[in-house]
Amino acid sequence: MKKTFAKLLCLVLAVMLMVTCFVSCGETNYAENNTKIKIGVSGPLSGGAAVYGIAVKNAAQIAINEINAIEAAGGAGTLGMQFEFVAKDDEHKATNVSTTYSSLYESGMQISLGTVTTAPGLEFKELANDDNVFILTPSASGDDIPEYDNAFQMCFADSNQGSASAVYFNENYQGKQIGIFYKSDEDYSTGIRKTFLDALDASLKNGIKEASFQEGDNDFSSQVEALKTCDVIFMPIYYTPASQFMTKGKGIVKDDAIYYGCDGLDGIDAIDGFDITTVPQEVSYLSHFNSGATTGAAKTFIDKYNAAYNEETEPLNQFGAAAYDCVWAIYEALKVAKANGKEFDVTTSPADFSEILTEVFTSDNFTFHGVTGKAVNADGTSNISWSDDGFVNKEAVKYVVKSANSAQ
Amino acid sequence: MEFITTLVNGLSLGGIYAMIALGYTMVYGIAKMLNFAHGDIIMVGGYTILVFLAINPIVSIVAAVVMCVLLGVSIEKVAYKPLRGSSPLAVLITAIGMSYFLQSLAQIIFGTAPRYVIIAEFGSLELGALKIGHGTLITLAAAVCVMVLLNLFVKYTKIGRAMIAVSEDKDAARLMGIDINMIITLTFAIGSALAALAGLFSLMNVPTIMPTYGALPGIKAFTAAVIGGIGSIPGAMLGGILLGVVECICNSLPGVAPYTTAIEFAILIVILLVKPTGLLGKKRREKV
Repeated sequence: MKKTFAKLLCLVLAVMLMVTCFVSCGETNYAENNTKIKIGVSGPLSGGAAVYGIAVKNAAQIAINEINAIEAAGGAGTLGMQFEFVAKDDEHKATNVSTTYSSLYESGMQISLGTVTTAPGLEFKELANDDNVFILTPSASGDDIPEYDNAFQMCFADSNQGSASAVYFNENYQGKQIGIFYKSDEDYSTGIRKTFLDALDASLKNGIKEASFQEGDNDFSSQVEALKTCDVIFMPIYYTPASQFMTKGKGIVKDDAIYYGCDGLDGIDAIDGFDITTVPQEVSYLSHFNSGATTGAAKTFIDKYNAAYNEETEPLNQFGAAAYDCVWAIYEALKVAKANGKEFDVTTSPADFSEILTEVFTSDNFTFHGVTGKAVNADGTSNISWSDDGFVNKEAVKYVVKSANSAQ
Repeated sequence: MEFITTLVNGLSLGGIYAMIALGYTMVYGIAKMLNFAHGDIIMVGGYTILVFLAINPIVSIVAAVVMCVLLGVSIEKVAYKPLRGSSPLAVLITAIGMSYFLQSLAQIIFGTAPRYVIIAEFGSLELGALKIGHGTLITLAAAVCVMVLLNLFVKYTKIGRAMIAVSEDKDAARLMGIDINMIITLTFAIGSALAALAGLFSLMNVPTIMPTYGALPGIKAFTAAVIGGIGSIPGAMLGGILLGVVECICNSLPGVAPYTTAIEFAILIVILLVKPTGLLGKKRREKV
């Protein structure tokens, strides 16, 4: 009797195992009930990096609204489809990505903007690769983000930010004492630092001073001390610790020194309670977008953003501009694909969209005219294209947040 | 010259660690429990300063001390007192739970983004090539004052000596007519007031606060208390200052800086291996 029961149990278990296998192996297209093409992003909508995520969400929504208006009007070259945008909050934490990703994917996301920041992005690209979801990230700048064929960046990759900064230093800061202030336990920071040092002239590298910190450190006195004689301090870090360093450095770091950062410093002039005008030094960063632009497509976009959102509480930054370009670039790529005879509609699966978009983005003759990058076209837009390995090609600009303040 | 500045910075940071470590060590010495919510009391102090800063900096400091004392005492009454006499593990878990509770509460009220709290703009003192921020010097001076006062209080006042008596032998102290509950409440009050001051001086150093603000300094101060010998008041001071100086020296050396935290905890391990009771910890003879 017992034996029969055991056999029966085995059989039941085996059947259950097979059933689960079929269920999990079967490709579910969560998008089959969509009425619009769904574009999603995972980014920090709360927490220390929320300034980035909120700008991305707002700017992408502006692009979606514009595209939907064009599509609704119809006409030659339009797709005849509407778009919608969803953003999930990952608080700039890699551990939250499995939740945000599956919630996006299962809600029918077909095309993604990946993540807003690098650390969560490294998680996201793995999950997106498993399901073959297309990624065009506005601002996750890690070198490994476009590791797989389906991932592209709108921002400069970290290594490009480091080497582009070094090129600027080599041209402009010869004979100056250079310092580096970086975060030793963050890929973003150490990655930029490495390529910066690799591309820096030997004359500048000799006698370079370095100071670093780790997550949770909140006393920067010894770091300020180590860098106080520097003329130019390179800071490949995010704006919160940078602002803490600058506050600590008042009266200790030379007043005519220059703080020079990368995209992580974007938003440093919008921190609640931190008045950047009390920092005597110049604060600049390498950027692909000038949020103080007075001409060109960048200016038009800034006006649109400020008309739609409160520039005090939800300020625009280059992350937002990049997200705007991302949505438009995806739309333009879909139009190119349609012109090339590809077929898709609002219920097409993420994997199929990925095939279609990857082919367009890697083709040699796809150039997007955007608001990020240096304005070179007659209409004030830039030229943006992508290499086959997912890195962006466009010209950088240096953005001065605040010039040196001799009165202080 | 640079070394002297680093040393002064280290002493000042060490002073902050020592103030926090005193809270850990006094509570451990008297209530025989590890109050892991202690670090978060610093954070509550910081946010109290943020809230009251609009009125007046002095008012905000007083408010922070009062708030922290009330909080520390009520945590003891609500969360720890009912568990007195139960297993040490239960008390420890309760303390960790309390820590998360305070952090999450701060997240709900103030959000997760860091907030700037500028109590006052400080200049810096210049002596030849030596350049030290006024904030650093004030912190150092205050830390020294607090330690001297606390030592005098514990050694020469009736209540202070009652505290020592409770820490040495609770039952004998009770037989001598000491109100144990009152002493424990007082210990939490003093520890929390010190935490409020530590929060104040940390904010003078780096004027940003977020809900996890107290977590790392709390752990480091706990390490300092263990290095010095947990339960020993001079030990907590010594451990705190040692840790602060080591941290600043490590951070000032570019090649070593990335390993600062690792080095600090390695020192803890080495000291515990060589002297398991900590630097100034008393050896207790176990009766068999």
